[in-house]
Amino acid sequence: MTALSVLGLLPPGGAVTGGRILFDGQDLAAASAAALQEVRGNTVGMVFQDPLTSLNPTMTIGAQVAEPLLLHREGIGRKEAWARAEEMLRLVGMPQPSERMKAYPHQLSGGMRQRVAIAMALVCEPKLLIADEPTTALDVTTQHQILELIDNLRETLGMALILVTHDLGVIANRVDRVAVMYAGKVAEQSDVRALFARPRHRYTEALFAALPERAAERGTELHTIPGLPPSLTVRPTGCRFAPRCLFATAECEEREPELSPDREPELSPDRVPELSPDRVPELSPDPEPQPEAGGSQLLGAEHRFACFHPVPYGDAPQEQVVTPPPATATEPGEVLLELDALVKEFPLTGGPFARRRGTVSAVGGVSLAVRKGETFGLVGESGCGKTTLVRIVAGLEEPTAGTVRFDGRDLAGLSRAERRAHRRRIQLMFQDSTAAMDPRMRVGEILREPLVIQGLGTRADQERLTASLLDAVGLPRGAVHRYPHEFSGGQRQRLGLARALTLSPDLVVADEPVSALDVSVQAQILNLMRELQRDRGLTYLFISHDLAVIRHLADTVGVMYLGKLVETGPAEQVYAHPLHPYTRGLLDTVNVPDPAVAAAGQREPLHGETPSAAKPPSGCRFRTRCPLAQDVCATTEPPVSTPSGAGHQVACHFPLAVPRLASTV
Amino acid sequence: MTGFSGFLVKRFLQALVVLFLVSIIVFVLLHMLPGGPARAILGPKGTPQQITDFNHQQGYDRSLPTQYFMYLKRLFTGDLGDSYKLNSPVFELLKQRLPKTLLLTVLSTALAVVIAIPLGLLQAVRRGKASDYALTGLAFLLYATPVFFLGLIMIILFAQVLPVFPAEAPQGESIGELLREFSGLVLPVVTMAFGIVAMFSRYMRSAVLDNLTEEYVRTAMAKGQSSRRIMVRHVLRNALIPLATLLGLYLPTLFSGALVVESMFNYPGMGLLFWNAAQGSDFPVLLGVTLVVGIATVLGSLLTDILYAVLDPRIRSVA
Repeated sequence: MTALSVLGLLPPGGAVTGGRILFDGQDLAAASAAALQEVRGNTVGMVFQDPLTSLNPTMTIGAQVAEPLLLHREGIGRKEAWARAEEMLRLVGMPQPSERMKAYPHQLSGGMRQRVAIAMALVCEPKLLIADEPTTALDVTTQHQILELIDNLRETLGMALILVTHDLGVIANRVDRVAVMYAGKVAEQSDVRALFARPRHRYTEALFAALPERAAERGTELHTIPGLPPSLTVRPTGCRFAPRCLFATAECEEREPELSPDREPELSPDRVPELSPDRVPELSPDPEPQPEAGGSQLLGAEHRFACFHPVPYGDAPQEQVVTPPPATATEPGEVLLELDALVKEFPLTGGPFARRRGTVSAVGGVSLAVRKGETFGLVGESGCGKTTLVRIVAGLEEPTAGTVRFDGRDLAGLSRAERRAHRRRIQLMFQDSTAAMDPRMRVGEILREPLVIQGLGTRADQERLTASLLDAVGLPRGAVHRYPHEFSGGQRQRLGLARALTLSPDLVVADEPVSALDVSVQAQILNLMRELQRDRGLTYLFISHDLAVIRHLADTVGVMYLGKLVETGPAEQVYAHPLHPYTRGLLDTVNVPDPAVAAAGQREPLHGETPSAAKPPSGCRFRTRCPLAQDVCATTEPPVSTPSGAGHQVACHFPLAVPRLASTV
Repeated sequence: MTGFSGFLVKRFLQALVVLFLVSIIVFVLLHMLPGGPARAILGPKGTPQQITDFNHQQGYDRSLPTQYFMYLKRLFTGDLGDSYKLNSPVFELLKQRLPKTLLLTVLSTALAVVIAIPLGLLQAVRRGKASDYALTGLAFLLYATPVFFLGLIMIILFAQVLPVFPAEAPQGESIGELLREFSGLVLPVVTMAFGIVAMFSRYMRSAVLDNLTEEYVRTAMAKGQSSRRIMVRHVLRNALIPLATLLGLYLPTLFSGALVVESMFNYPGMGLLFWNAAQGSDFPVLLGVTLVVGIATVLGSLLTDILYAVLDPRIRSVA
């Protein structure tokens, strides 16, 4: 919202009601519509979150990129504008830019569309680029490429960058200075290294502690922030974080702490230094990135926070929060789910009368085994076939070839009645629980429905079970009378989990269950899932694109690429000693939320884009992006081998033999 | 260019299949006439012998597939039978009348679109303001008014109270003659256009409102464009896509609307032909018109798809 207000792009009904927005000496908050139009796209460029919707679907790429030039550069002809636009597309790494100029947005991949959006924002060579969650909608490898691109362009064009993101990994890797916002206010503001090394505001501290990457050990509980961000319809009194803060006192409820500089430790944290009016925080983008040399001197003056009870010096933040007892790891038992050479292909046709034009190979022969009581984490980028695999396991899709065995029985051999009964034993948890629940059903009905369908118990029994499930997922029993939209995202995901557990399944298949959640809420859900697994002996098949989440939760990890399982093994081993070049590339691409690691270097991120599943490469499907690829990779599909001992399998002609140093993810 | 032309060819072949189905339906309708075609023509006083003779003469005693084949053969040579009342081949009648109805429909649709698009845009931009409410009210009023009532008001207002335009449409033989007496066309065209304007402007308004919340509009703003320019360059084309659907679907309705307007202003089009034929149980003419309307419907949806593909590049590559 703050980013939008800079350019006066607030949604209808919103307006800047106070304060100033100084850009190059000009107050944009007070500027006229015409003056703002002169700034927008000219001296300030903006990139939005979703490249799929932020481009006009009916205009060519070229017309859209050239548009700012035609608007802001007087006397520029159409021809020249197009030439400059093409040059810009080349600069943002668009292959064959002259052909792409005539293409429409839907003909490009998400990453390419974001490149177009960046080209559009930069074509007038602005002094400031505002990027509002520019990579949130993108895959890990694409995300890396886009951030790298923005970084390079910032340097080449000598512009300032405001990067808005919820992703602490992105922040740690890409920025010089950070402002942490909470409920409409800046809670803390600092040089990025100082912030990560020594957060002072309690919210920043709690946020860091909730990261799965910061959990000391796999299998321990994550630190969570209790409660929810406040609704901003009522102006809160006092510190806005106070209701969720473990250190809040009466003072925090009454008075609002002001943003004040981080002084030396002898300053009592309870005393608030008086601020002169001219130090009221204002968003004035720094046109020049801070030079390295001056950084440390400026740091003291720059690190500011608004907290009466800041994190004291000398303490590492993780050690202050009470650590809950670690969960006892359950011993994995016998094989519960076994996939053998599973293949799923979708025909590509052009309508009811058209011939089959090709095949999309969504899953191209996957074999894996999930043991009772364990969490099997399946990682991969979008389009790798994770979701198709989930649908087959859940019985929503028939495999083209191969077998699915559950508890020793081949699912293909089940009769209709057996299949129906079998459905009880595998339940699903979805990414978007808002979409996965009927908005016109009350929570009680939603939770009871599986029981009704399976014809289990009397109504009273069903209601008793529902109540106990709500207890188990930490929601009030009164929730049964409410509708899904009355709950927050995290609460709805709890409901999703409760519904999955209604039929006491053996296996819960969770498809990106925490991807749509904030870090603090994500930690709550992950803890809950772990706790329920311990109490009920559940087995999870956990799908995610987030390597840190998988590492935190999973016992066994499988890495998928373009319909193939390229590597499986115990989580510790896979992360510490990846055998497949793709796994290593993924690990190297991830933004670690720690600036110190980010600066350490020696990372080999993945290049290029995932090829289309309609035309997968011959031999090894990863060979087109693999740094180690040889001729044999194009001709022969790599066999599965176990070079580092049983249990850790890899499908590669040239597995990484030398164990690398433990990865930092 | 395989994308677009391939799409057109495919869509055209599909339209042919549907036209074939239309011919079957009309053929079946012919055989569902009360007492069969013979009874319909010879009337209640026809003797059984006359009926048998008639059926033999017309080929109605052969098997249905044979009859259909004959029907189809006649159709291709332009033989739709003869009118019972007008003593003229149906084909000739349609050839005379269809262009006139097309003229009426095209003129009124064009007028409606030219008014409705800016009107819808204006309402969307002024959403929630007095002008939006006023125009919305007017649109509903027009939409709810039956065409014949609207026509009557027009005649009273502009032909009688203020005698600006004649109440009767020109009776010329050719399109050229009709156009020469343009003032006679004004009232029928405007009457027909009013109802369409009401509907189209509503659709336009909501399509524009939908598009205004799209993120690409925000991107366009971030480039520093004026709202006016964003409307014209970005929103308009996207908002026209749903309107294209409506236009195609609305075409058959326009034809039936023409029926009322034509009989009201005594406009010598297909609607009037149909009206008179219906009153005189002139079945060959009725079926001929039905066939034409069927074809118009198919062509209407073909037109929609082509418009779609022109407006929306995504449709082109999917198809």
